[in-house]
Amino acid sequence: MKFKGDKPLFVGLVLPTVAILTAFVAYPALRSLYLAFHEVEPFSQGLAYVGFDNFKSLLSSADFWSSLKVSLYFAVITVVPAVVLSLLAALLLDANPFFRGLWRTILLLPVSISSAMAAMLWIFLFNPTAGYLNYVLDVIGVTGPNWLADPRWAIYSVALVTVWKEIGFNVIFFMAGLSSIPKDVNEAAWIDGASSWRRLFSITLPLISPTMLFVTVVSLINSFQVFGQIHILTGGGPAGETTTLVYQLYQDAFVNFRTGFASAQAVILFALLMGATVVQFQVAKKRVHYG
Amino acid sequence: MAKVDFKQVKKSFGDRPILKGIDLTIGSGEFLVLVGPSGCGKSTLLRLLAGLEELTSGEIEIGGRSVGGLPPTERGIAMVFQNYALYPHMTVRQNLEFGLKLAKTSEAEMKRRVDDAAKLLGLEDQLSKKPGQLSGGQKQRVAMGRAMVRDPKVFLFDEPLSNLDAQLRVRMRAEISLLHQRVKSTVVYVTHDQVEAMTLADRIAVMNGGVVEQLGTPLELYNDPHTQFVAQFIGTPSMNVVPKDWLSGAGASFPAGAVNAGFRPEAITLVPSGQDLKLGSAEVVLVEPLGSTNYVHLRWNDTLIVAEHRGTNVKAIGEKCDLGVNASAVYWFDGQGKRVR
Repeated sequence: MKFKGDKPLFVGLVLPTVAILTAFVAYPALRSLYLAFHEVEPFSQGLAYVGFDNFKSLLSSADFWSSLKVSLYFAVITVVPAVVLSLLAALLLDANPFFRGLWRTILLLPVSISSAMAAMLWIFLFNPTAGYLNYVLDVIGVTGPNWLADPRWAIYSVALVTVWKEIGFNVIFFMAGLSSIPKDVNEAAWIDGASSWRRLFSITLPLISPTMLFVTVVSLINSFQVFGQIHILTGGGPAGETTTLVYQLYQDAFVNFRTGFASAQAVILFALLMGATVVQFQVAKKRVHYG
Repeated sequence: MAKVDFKQVKKSFGDRPILKGIDLTIGSGEFLVLVGPSGCGKSTLLRLLAGLEELTSGEIEIGGRSVGGLPPTERGIAMVFQNYALYPHMTVRQNLEFGLKLAKTSEAEMKRRVDDAAKLLGLEDQLSKKPGQLSGGQKQRVAMGRAMVRDPKVFLFDEPLSNLDAQLRVRMRAEISLLHQRVKSTVVYVTHDQVEAMTLADRIAVMNGGVVEQLGTPLELYNDPHTQFVAQFIGTPSMNVVPKDWLSGAGASFPAGAVNAGFRPEAITLVPSGQDLKLGSAEVVLVEPLGSTNYVHLRWNDTLIVAEHRGTNVKAIGEKCDLGVNASAVYWFDGQGKRVR
């Protein structure tokens, strides 16, 4: 590559990003891959090459399969509502310009606060005796569950917080996608005799399919990587009901100090997400229309 | 084909009036061009006819039937948009079929209509392509085809050629004209390009500030403009308009109420003959040679005017020449821009 202009300035501007990405993304990722093939002494950090042993014991570990199952289920119950609800919200906001800015801000607020803060807020709301959620249910004559401690409800409670946090981010992308559809294309369809529903399904949705693919991929990756709210709301409990792959990985790496074993899980998580993304892009090839 | 009537049509956006009471009748099978500067309300009038905007007051009739409350699809119209408005995710065939499918047209009839339109517009080889793979001219043909297959009573065109390059624009203009001759539908065509208006229209409605300033055939508007605005809008280059006193020295007799005098570039002679009004000396500031003719820009009494000069003996920039104007080709306008005779 040939540089025209100020080379030192170019290098100076790019260097901070390259340095940060190397230190916090590239090095940990490669180190993790390296550690996955080693047994790591908990405190001395001594390394012993063990080949695929970590992966073998992982595949025979009940905790691993259980956490994978939880992760997959958690992905379904968060990605689908997060995508569908944010699409609906974006469609409503796009059609009704009144207070659009205000609603966008309200929807975006949860995104702007940290997961730890969000989780703390929801701990108050979920409190079975003093929380608002059960108070409201009580008012309408329903006895609310023990949201975070009941094994039947815990994962849905965490999912609710995750969806609540995710929606605003997705809405922004969907609104950008919707605003990029030329007004006259919709008008042409209207003149052609398409009802509002028909226009939604035949024009709007196909034309925002690239946005939909992007939002779905990002939501899926986010749902697999969720950590903060699980750590604060349930700590992976009750009885492992909310122990996702990432939470299991955290437990193995930083509580049980099985760094090599945890690294193997990180590699598998990466492979899973990569595989899922590739599959999504392949499936989408036929259904996503880029301009 | 059907007659179109606008009766006292008014449209405001908020408290800003856009159309201030339009009365206009478009004959069945007529090619009417709405022309005017940006913001004059021509596109709004077309969108009201299409049903894409709601009337503030007044009435619109298509074929004698009031269409005020009807959705676009029930008005018997088809529209060609400025940016083509093709469905980018559908093939050309699917674009042409979309409206027919919604109207539950039979497969055989749909195929016949789409194939006919494709043949007429030279799109047979493009039917399986998507709009993104087509050139600007081809896209415009698809947009026209989509309008044609619906067999509308009235075709609406909203500045359809403004995104095409100059050469293609001339070709597509001829194609639209030929198409009208074949399908014989009523056409309402919006443009800000007066050359397009002159070459395509049976009649032109010149709009300005939300009203129709003048309605007439292209030659009527050119030869007998009722206002200074129409006189200057129709014709390229524009009519020269100067204070009437500038012509008093030349011995012109002007009608009562006249404030300004207008004369077209071709009425000016750079070598005045005996009958011409002698306007005195002017300096050549720019010459635009077009091959068959030249547009000569002149500084006369500290204002710039344009003369059309045929022939090769054009003066050079900076040279002086004597101006003359044919007395019968001078138009007079009052202080409000109305023509006085």
